[in-house]
Amino acid sequence: MSTDYNYDDKGQFFPFFVLTLTSLVTLPLTYNLLRPSKGLENTAPRIKSEFKPEHAELIEAQKRKRLRKERRIKRIITVIVGYAVMAYMAYLIIVTARATPKIWDPYDILGVSRSADEKAISRHYKRMSLVYHPDKIRPDPAKNETIEMLNDRFVELTKAYKALTDEEVRNNYIQYGHPDGKQSMSIGIALPTFIVSEGNSKYTLLVYGALLGVLLPYIVGRWWYGSQRYTKERVLVASAGNIFREYKEDITDGGIVNALSTGAEFKEMLQGAQTDAGLAKLEKKILAEDSILSPEERNVIKSLDDSGRRKALSLLWAYLSRTDLDDTTLDGEKYEAAPIALSLNEAFTAIALAFGNVRPIIGSFRTSQHLIQAVAPGSSPLLQLPHFTDEVVKSVEGADAKEHYTVQKFMSIPEEKQRSLTVGAGLLSEQQYNTAISVAKQLPVLEVSRAFFKVMGEKVITPSSLVQLVVKARFVPPGSSNVPQVEALDLEDIDPDEDDLDAIMGRKPAKNKTTKLVNGQKVEEKVETIQPPLAHAPYLARDHSPRWNIFLSDAKQGKMAVPPFTFTTFDKPLFDADGKPTFNIQTLKMQFQAPPQVGDFTFVLHLLCDSYLGLDTKMEITLHIDDPAKAAALEEEDDISEPDEDSIAGQMQALKTGQPPKKAKKPTAADSSDDESDTDGDAGDTSDTNTETDIDD
Amino acid sequence: MVNWITLAVPFAYLGVLLGSLATFSSLYRKRKAMKSFTLEPWFPPHAPRDIYFSLMHLDPTTASPSGGKDKKAPAVPDSVLKAALLRRAIEDIKRVMALRVQKPALAMLLQRGSVGDDLWQRFLRAEKEMEDEVKDVVAEANAYAPGWGQTIFQSANEMLNNAILRERVEKQQAKLQEEKQSWEKKKDGYLKELDAEAAPAAKKPEDSAAPAAAAAAAPVTPTSESASTPATKTPESSGAPPSVAGSEEDDAVLVEAEKGAKK
Repeated sequence: MSTDYNYDDKGQFFPFFVLTLTSLVTLPLTYNLLRPSKGLENTAPRIKSEFKPEHAELIEAQKRKRLRKERRIKRIITVIVGYAVMAYMAYLIIVTARATPKIWDPYDILGVSRSADEKAISRHYKRMSLVYHPDKIRPDPAKNETIEMLNDRFVELTKAYKALTDEEVRNNYIQYGHPDGKQSMSIGIALPTFIVSEGNSKYTLLVYGALLGVLLPYIVGRWWYGSQRYTKERVLVASAGNIFREYKEDITDGGIVNALSTGAEFKEMLQGAQTDAGLAKLEKKILAEDSILSPEERNVIKSLDDSGRRKALSLLWAYLSRTDLDDTTLDGEKYEAAPIALSLNEAFTAIALAFGNVRPIIGSFRTSQHLIQAVAPGSSPLLQLPHFTDEVVKSVEGADAKEHYTVQKFMSIPEEKQRSLTVGAGLLSEQQYNTAISVAKQLPVLEVSRAFFKVMGEKVITPSSLVQLVVKARFVPPGSSNVPQVEALDLEDIDPDEDDLDAIMGRKPAKNKTTKLVNGQKVEEKVETIQPPLAHAPYLARDHSPRWNIFLSDAKQGKMAVPPFTFTTFDKPLFDADGKPTFNIQTLKMQFQAPPQVGDFTFVLHLLCDSYLGLDTKMEITLHIDDPAKAAALEEEDDISEPDEDSIAGQMQALKTGQPPKKAKKPTAADSSDDESDTDGDAGDTSDTNTETDIDD
Repeated sequence: MVNWITLAVPFAYLGVLLGSLATFSSLYRKRKAMKSFTLEPWFPPHAPRDIYFSLMHLDPTTASPSGGKDKKAPAVPDSVLKAALLRRAIEDIKRVMALRVQKPALAMLLQRGSVGDDLWQRFLRAEKEMEDEVKDVVAEANAYAPGWGQTIFQSANEMLNNAILRERVEKQQAKLQEEKQSWEKKKDGYLKELDAEAAPAAKKPEDSAAPAAAAAAAPVTPTSESASTPATKTPESSGAPPSVAGSEEDDAVLVEAEKGAKK
């Protein structure tokens, strides 16, 4: 038995090896490429509107540019190359398979089945020899046969017959598959011979060294530094640093726009000659007397030395004030700058959250609204509606109004008056008015019906427990008539069953979920996540799915108390099949740890939508924290068996309440009444909720 | 005999390996040092400190070399130097406060990966610089008057707070004119409305007292008056008897009066 390695000199196995390797890379990549994208922006419905803004084609061009960037050209090329290699290898396999020599098979030559015994074989041979003996047949010129061929065929037949009738040969054949007996064992390496041949070893070594010593470190280095270039919010590290430096405790709308203009992304966008191109023209437009910029903002632009940043900031202001720049390139850049600023704003939000001051946090969400709607800070939210211009807004609000109308307020005035205020010469046409109203009636205004705190499975909230803030709200589009009353039952939040682990752990439930109704009935319910329609943002060169953020702040200190929870999907449909609002009560929940002290904590609840102006809600809400002893007492009254101190449940109880469970019933009651004498009074009449809503506009 | 050539191969290999590692390490360190050296400073140039130093080093003998005259420039008085030092302390306080506020937020952001490591390096350098700066100011202050170092930052802080307060007041004062104007405008509007309401109210009793006679008279008087009075009224004229600047309510009164006449 020889152990010589055979290299793949005929190239039989190498293609298999390469094919396997390439398909290992290519097939998953193909799936990745063709898989339908599940991003929020791709699955959401849209707000119906025929409105086309002034530079619709420019905005569309920017959208396409962005899509192209996201389309991952490199991946597509890799997949194509991969399939080409695979096809070539498959071709090689087919071609070489034909070239491999056939193993000499006596059964095949004789044309007998492998199960035939000796007698049958010899009978068959005799019959064959009668037909094929060279003396018996003439060469057939039509088949291009010669006498040699006939001879050879007969010799082959005879050989095969001999092989099968000879006992030893037949046994060899049966045992080892070869008439000569056991063959030497051979191990093949699926490498083509040219790799290992004497003269090529230098080059092979060179390629190997290049792969391992150059390409591998290069790829790893690129990946490492590439990942280091971006922060968690997917903005350049340099931008995040600049924005951090620009952060001030009292930074507001204009200041945030200014801070965003420091982003390094704008430098990448405005490269080379683009930095200065049209800057003078742009600034002339922006700093014109009748533009909406405040004196401070003008001064900021004028004081900047860096022309790149100056241009970025001017472009942003031009976008926000919807200034027509009379220049296709500049207008294109204007629409390109806005989505960049929007992604930079995420970095600003993260920074503002780290500082925890309420004003910049709200400012950052407002800036997102401004950027998405292309409405400058301090301008009217009515500009969100299609065809609304400054003149129309002025006609609605009055010439020197200090307060702006929100869309809701505008839609609440009687229709004839709306029409008389907006339709007219220099204002809107009848058709434009109808478009605007139809969009206004589709805006997802989230109206809070009730907000309260609770601890799952408990009657009262104890210190340091895991509190849930439950916000019951519904979408009431502006100007919707006959809004149904909120049903009291919808405002209750029922704890999930104890056996419903998914809900208790806060996991996403499976497809179907059993929901317990208020009256104790259980209902099998199909859980869906409903997406609100994409933000109606005709000027933004990007699709954006609206997000709602809820956070709690401490009004006295102006600090954030509980960081924002973001909601992008809801559990009940917003609109029915005909596009009519359903006014379903949506439940929004967020969990956080209660303060460790007993008492009443008053928070301000902020509900901010990042896509539309004037939809923000601000309300006061009080978190009432009770003494754990009282909670225990309440539980005893409920006649729930108190867990033993040494059982697992008892330990859990001890962890939850911060004290070991009481052994006897009587001392507890006495204790708690002593402890609670001062808090009992207000506990009775203070409900733990305050549903007064004052819409903040 | 030792085959030197074959022996040289492993040594050459080792040499190349170690040599390349050493080169890489030294290059990397040099680059890193260069990078940290060229890190952008956290704060803009410290102008009050520069002013203080230039005042300090304003040597009387070197200050006026030009002209060749022997006239010596007067030495910088101590009070000016002290004032400059205080200004410097104020700026220092501003910066130290800013750093103190930023530190926890920056540490948190760094941990989350929302900012890069450079920024943290820059911050640490700025912090160190400010520490040295504060020490320097204390030492300088002690040089002017022993013990002043302990109190200089207190007084600087008070000055700073005063400046902030004053700035705020000025900001509010600046709004005064604008607010005044808009309020005047608003007041005019309200007064006009009030007048408009007062006009029919004043007429009502007349109506009831002498229906027939007043019905004939009432419609005439307001219209004639409204024609004579200017459309925009000054607050002073609001004290005058009810007169309506041509309005719909006026017409309503007319209609009402006519109805009364027909009855």
